Amino acid sequence: MRCLIAVLAMFLVLPFAACTSDSGGSGGDGDPLVIYSGRKSVLVDPLVEQFTEATGIAVEVRSGSDAELVAALQEEGDASPADLYWANTAGALGVAGEAGLFSQLPDSILSKPDGYVPSSGLWVPVTVRFRVMAYDPGRVTPEFLPASVMDLPDNDAFRGQIGWTPTYSSFQDFITAMREIHGEEATRNWIEGMKALEPKAYPSNTPMLEAMMAGEIMVGLTNHYYVLRVVHGGDDDLRDDPTVATHHFGAGDTGNLALVTGAGLLNTSTQTEKALAFLSFLLSEDAQSFAAETVREYPVVRAATVPDYLLPFDEAVALGPEFDFDRLRNLEGTLDLLREKGLL
Amino acid sequence: MPVARLHDFRWYLWGPALLVAVGVLVPLSYLVLRAFQGDAGELADLVLRRRNLRLLGNTLGLTAGVLLLTSAIAFPLAWLVARTDIKGKPFVTLLGVLPLAVPGYVMAYALMASTGPSGLLSGLHLPRPSGYAGAWLALGLYTFPYLFLNLRAALLGLDPALEDAAQSLGYSNREVARRVVLPQLRPAFFAGGLLIALHVLGDFGVVSLMRFETFSYAIYLQYAAAFDRVYAAWLALMLLSLTGVMLLLEMRLLRGRRYERTGSGSARTTSMSPLGRWTAPAYGFVGLVGMAGVALPVSTVVYWLGRGVEHGRWSDLLSAFLDSCSAALPAAVLATALALPVAYLSVRKPSWPARAAERIAYLGYATPPLAFALALIFFTLRSAPFLYQSLGLLIAAYALHFMAEAIGPVRSALYQAPVRIQEAARNLGRSPLRAFFEGTFPLLRGSLGAGMALVFLSALKELPITFLLSPLGFRSLAMGVWGAASESLFSVAAPYALVLMATSTALVGLLLRKA
Repeated sequence: MRCLIAVLAMFLVLPFAACTSDSGGSGGDGDPLVIYSGRKSVLVDPLVEQFTEATGIAVEVRSGSDAELVAALQEEGDASPADLYWANTAGALGVAGEAGLFSQLPDSILSKPDGYVPSSGLWVPVTVRFRVMAYDPGRVTPEFLPASVMDLPDNDAFRGQIGWTPTYSSFQDFITAMREIHGEEATRNWIEGMKALEPKAYPSNTPMLEAMMAGEIMVGLTNHYYVLRVVHGGDDDLRDDPTVATHHFGAGDTGNLALVTGAGLLNTSTQTEKALAFLSFLLSEDAQSFAAETVREYPVVRAATVPDYLLPFDEAVALGPEFDFDRLRNLEGTLDLLREKGLL
Repeated sequence: MPVARLHDFRWYLWGPALLVAVGVLVPLSYLVLRAFQGDAGELADLVLRRRNLRLLGNTLGLTAGVLLLTSAIAFPLAWLVARTDIKGKPFVTLLGVLPLAVPGYVMAYALMASTGPSGLLSGLHLPRPSGYAGAWLALGLYTFPYLFLNLRAALLGLDPALEDAAQSLGYSNREVARRVVLPQLRPAFFAGGLLIALHVLGDFGVVSLMRFETFSYAIYLQYAAAFDRVYAAWLALMLLSLTGVMLLLEMRLLRGRRYERTGSGSARTTSMSPLGRWTAPAYGFVGLVGMAGVALPVSTVVYWLGRGVEHGRWSDLLSAFLDSCSAALPAAVLATALALPVAYLSVRKPSWPARAAERIAYLGYATPPLAFALALIFFTLRSAPFLYQSLGLLIAAYALHFMAEAIGPVRSALYQAPVRIQEAARNLGRSPLRAFFEGTFPLLRGSLGAGMALVFLSALKELPITFLLSPLGFRSLAMGVWGAASESLFSVAAPYALVLMATSTALVGLLLRKA
């Protein structure tokens, strides 16, 4: 028992000692900039480190899901310590804007991106992800793939060879967009047509792409970066001889839905200048190029250089359908529809 | 002297109980506050939705199913460890606890990744679990230790003299088990079963991955998809009233029972029955439980580790380990320290306020963690803003939320600890506090260790409370696992998951050695 207490005591004291030594070493002047981030830390940390290195401004990041952070910001109210909210979805930014959490951004920031800027001017886009179709280049010739996702159910050759992820959030966003753009009836028909082709349902995108590499399916509906992460995050052989490739539907097609990430300046910020400096940094050529290279998402700044596996900026902007992102909030109808069709 | 008169009002008993009551009821009042924010017509619409009825059916069905599954695993396993001559008992015990070290969402990932056409076990042609079956299996596999630990402690604490007496009255072995042993296991079964039921009610990691619509999944969707705090609060309150019914039920079933030894002298050690022809099935059973509950998730994580080139940094891993321990360890100690007086009052001084304090602790456990965290944000910023986002607040939140896990083992041990020793110490002139520490406390050590282990494991895996209440820059191991795994960066998530499970294993091993 005594030994146990000693070990416990050691565990108790050590971390506190570690904490105090940590806080002494933070650089920069004054309080750190506080960012609430709905994006995963693996996608945020490298950029934050570069910013601190370049400017000497210390940054503290609180990570969580978009929903948790928006709820937390609302509960915190005026007492929030946060300066910036960096969200993973346009939906969360829309809610935060409506709830009056954001301050109007200056034109110096809003003028930086070359697209996707919301008319409200309350937040600024940072990166863009696209819905795409992944296919196995060994078994499918790209010419054979449909120009619109709406025509996919007509491709009888893919019977039993299509993968999708009905339970995954970005798939559900895509269905919501389809309902908003083409209407309930067309969406219902699309789902029924797809079901007639006996698609295989996967819990998320990575297992679906692995199944494709294993020859289980020929095509699959996914987000563009999952394909890139599999092909360019894996070993060299895969990069030289990919077994998964990307197909974009025709320009403006619903199947190319753009999913925007972005950030806004919070009303409660006491360090507006630093916060704007960070937004400005995120939209700089360097940071945008770096994000494209490492996170493999599309930049929102034309001048950013993108790796050769991403489309050139103007082509990418033309891809997605014209669509008001706030309409993605009507998820409940989508879930009901998916449930009605036995997919959830 | 009647038990209840042994103590008058004692601050060191009622102080902690009051603290717990306030700490848990305050978050509940927040939910009520939010729930009544909408206008009346809208509120009626929210509450009377047909959908709520389906949620209720799903939730109750899942709870009942998981209780059955966990009983089927935990009863035989506890019996094997406590009453038979099976080899390698410490190892078997560890196998019975370790599934708790696996975060629920990792268990769900493991089940999904290992089955189906492209899974690790694709050769076996297992269907990919989802919906009710998936949630049932994943929850059952990682919550059965709550029952196992409670039953094992109770079986080990039984005085074999009772069984001897029954046998000398002509009862067969089977009758002894049914009429003497099983009734004695009642408090342990209720304590473990209650935890499991509350866990199933509150879980959203597993049900959301398996897409099975329970109350907690609906609450999660309201926050995540609709950003609707009012409907979420209503759903949480409905969930809590369901919890309240279960708590009342359990209280009725346990009322007025006494389980302690009353004979003189010390209890004889229980003799172990030989397994005999049950040897092969027994080892087979242990092997199956170990494979499904421990080997499957561990091999899934090891498989993650090997399949990518992107890994995190060692320094990040170390600081995540230290952050995790700096919050989870003090929380485990604090929760157990709070659970001891609360359990003591409810067992030894069973007045209504004593029972209420204990029930309230369970209510805190059943409050959805996200709502719990939001409530603490709301109240700390209005009453003690300097505490906000401090390590202290995080520790207190963990302790208040998870202390119900520590109550069960302590309560079972208190039921079995003879009051006479403490009374004798009092008669010898010891103060009440000293009499307790000399007469009863030594008998509780094992259970206190078990309670601490349970809270530690839960706090280590916790996500929503950690996300919202931790100090800025705080990164726990669980946050590392979740942050990477949910972006499909499994090779980055794997080291965090491995360290998390290793830390849990080490501490559980340490604490259970004494139990």
